[in-house]
Amino acid sequence: MFNYRVYWTFTKKSFLRSSVYRFDVWSRLGSNIIFLLMWGSIWTALYAGREEAGGVGFEAMLTYIVVSQFLTGVNGAGTPLWEIQEKVRTGDIALELMRPFDIPLRYLFADIGSVAFYIVTALLPLYTVLFIFMDLALPTDWLTWLYFVVASIIGFMIRYCIEMSFGLLTFFLVETGGIEDIFYFAMSLLSGSVIPLWFFPDWLATIALYLPFQGIYYIPNAIFIGEIAGAEILVSIGIQLFWVAVTYMTLRLIWNRASRKVVVQGG
Amino acid sequence: MVPIIEVEHLMKDFKIAKRETGFAGAIRSLVKREFITKEAVKDISFTIEEGEMVGYIGPNGAGKSTTIKMLTGILVPSGGSVRVNGIIPYENRQKNAKNIGVVFGQRTQLWWDLPTIESFELLKEIYQVSNERYEENMATFTDILGLDEFLDTPVRQLSLGQRMRADIAASLLHDPPILFLDEPTIGLDVVAKEKMRTFIKEINKERNITVILTTHDMEDIEKLCKRMVLIDHGQKVYDGEISVVKDRFGKIRTLVVDLEESDCILQLSGGKVFKEEGNRYWIHFNRDEVSASELIAQITSTHNIKDLTVEEPEIESIISRIYQEGFQDLPNPVKV
Ligand SMILES: Nc1ncnc2c1ncn2[C@@H]1O[C@H](COP(=O)(O)OP(=O)(O)OP(=O)(O)O)[C@@H](O)[C@H]1O
Ligand SMILES: [Mg+2]
Repeated sequence: MFNYRVYWTFTKKSFLRSSVYRFDVWSRLGSNIIFLLMWGSIWTALYAGREEAGGVGFEAMLTYIVVSQFLTGVNGAGTPLWEIQEKVRTGDIALELMRPFDIPLRYLFADIGSVAFYIVTALLPLYTVLFIFMDLALPTDWLTWLYFVVASIIGFMIRYCIEMSFGLLTFFLVETGGIEDIFYFAMSLLSGSVIPLWFFPDWLATIALYLPFQGIYYIPNAIFIGEIAGAEILVSIGIQLFWVAVTYMTLRLIWNRASRKVVVQGG
Repeated sequence: MVPIIEVEHLMKDFKIAKRETGFAGAIRSLVKREFITKEAVKDISFTIEEGEMVGYIGPNGAGKSTTIKMLTGILVPSGGSVRVNGIIPYENRQKNAKNIGVVFGQRTQLWWDLPTIESFELLKEIYQVSNERYEENMATFTDILGLDEFLDTPVRQLSLGQRMRADIAASLLHDPPILFLDEPTIGLDVVAKEKMRTFIKEINKERNITVILTTHDMEDIEKLCKRMVLIDHGQKVYDGEISVVKDRFGKIRTLVVDLEESDCILQLSGGKVFKEEGNRYWIHFNRDEVSASELIAQITSTHNIKDLTVEEPEIESIISRIYQEGFQDLPNPVKV
């Protein structure tokens, strides 16, 4: 049933398509850098010259921010939420139902294409330079790098499943502004992308720990700076895998219901 | 032989949220929404054999597109059953997709911002069409439809006629045995319509593709189909040979004349005034019994004509006449 060539085509096409919208890449990179500078100076001010806060050194914190901005770049390069809302709103989603492919997978592979383009052309060059010239706490052994890459990829999958699920809610709701707000709020706060979980008040940290969002930013990032280490790494990746499974099944469930509810306007 | 398309007691309701008015209404709708049920397709049954080309017609809002959407698997029926090439479309969309080609005249299925050729290439991959077959098909389609003049143009910049040609070619790239055409000639000029018809006719004949065609253009049907299924208000009104309907209703033309004076009594042999407004008269005539020029000659012998037009029967007017006059005495009554 699964024919990877069909999906791979979407990856290639959306990779090429991203190159058409080069301005988009530059503007996104610009805002990525601005946010990096902003968070960098906020945290510098918060540390106020101290070597350490919340048990984490300044250098590690700065690294956390840089990595977090890198992951934001990765996870923000695809736009399935927006795309799917647009398709549902215009009714074009129906036309895709008449094609011999699975729609959630097709968007995943397209997403991979645009993210790959952005990573190769913008993120990697920029962050390589940052890693070389800034005083950051880089992992010293290659295994940590490997875990980081693996955890980031799983995080990407979790984010995709959640984002797509939110997007599909457009089928059931007339207005979706609220949905988007919830999504972006959870993505920025509960994921630990702007504030690491260890600075959260206990109750909020507990909530965040029981939600899938931490698997997107916090886990890969904490592995990178060594906050999660040793046997804990595998446990964390296990937690991520658990969340991929749960969010993927949720996505499938929502998709099954949504695809029966398709409304095609006009014609 | 098992029919390639089987539709039995097909139904489709749409639930439409009722719009409440005023402040109190808005508050109420937050808590409880009321729905109106719209029965787009009430009870339609028909079967189509392989290789047939059937005109699926009816006035606006009759339920044609809704039926087609159920045949493609996009919409899930509210009742009854559909089978397309042995497959229940909405239960097995992906498998059904390989068997069908679809053109919705009102919207394109090509990728809006890609050059046309890239949409074709994408479809080639999606349907896993072999290189040879792709080349062959492209050569044939380019030949008849003249695709080469716009293959490098992004779809959003194509003219309507070009877009429609690209769309129909795209729907056939994967050699589907069945083709659904929902208003494939809408908005096209006379020449483009003719080209489109030639193409449809040819692929039906050469490739034995089963075609269901909806249109509001009587000429499309006359030129392409032997059989038509006529629906109205979500129900089947007629299913049978076109020639029967055409013989009976299609020969009636309308002559509209503006005379210099009003309130005339026109006594015409072969024509009948059925409406008048001021000095404008609408006259029905059967083109087998009398020609328009004979009628005009009759009128000019007693009156001065300022202006005139001859109206071809539209499918709508045929349907409305069928409604008025009923089907009971048609030689080939409704098949169920
Ligand atoms: N998504 C929808 N939601 C609610 N009502 C709908 C929807 N789609 C169609 N309808 C209604 O169902 C009826 C049949 O529509 P349909 O599009 O099948 O008509 P049609 O025969 O294709 O007409 P036309 O010749 O104008 O294209 C119409 O009354 C239409 O308003
Ligand atoms: Mg229609």
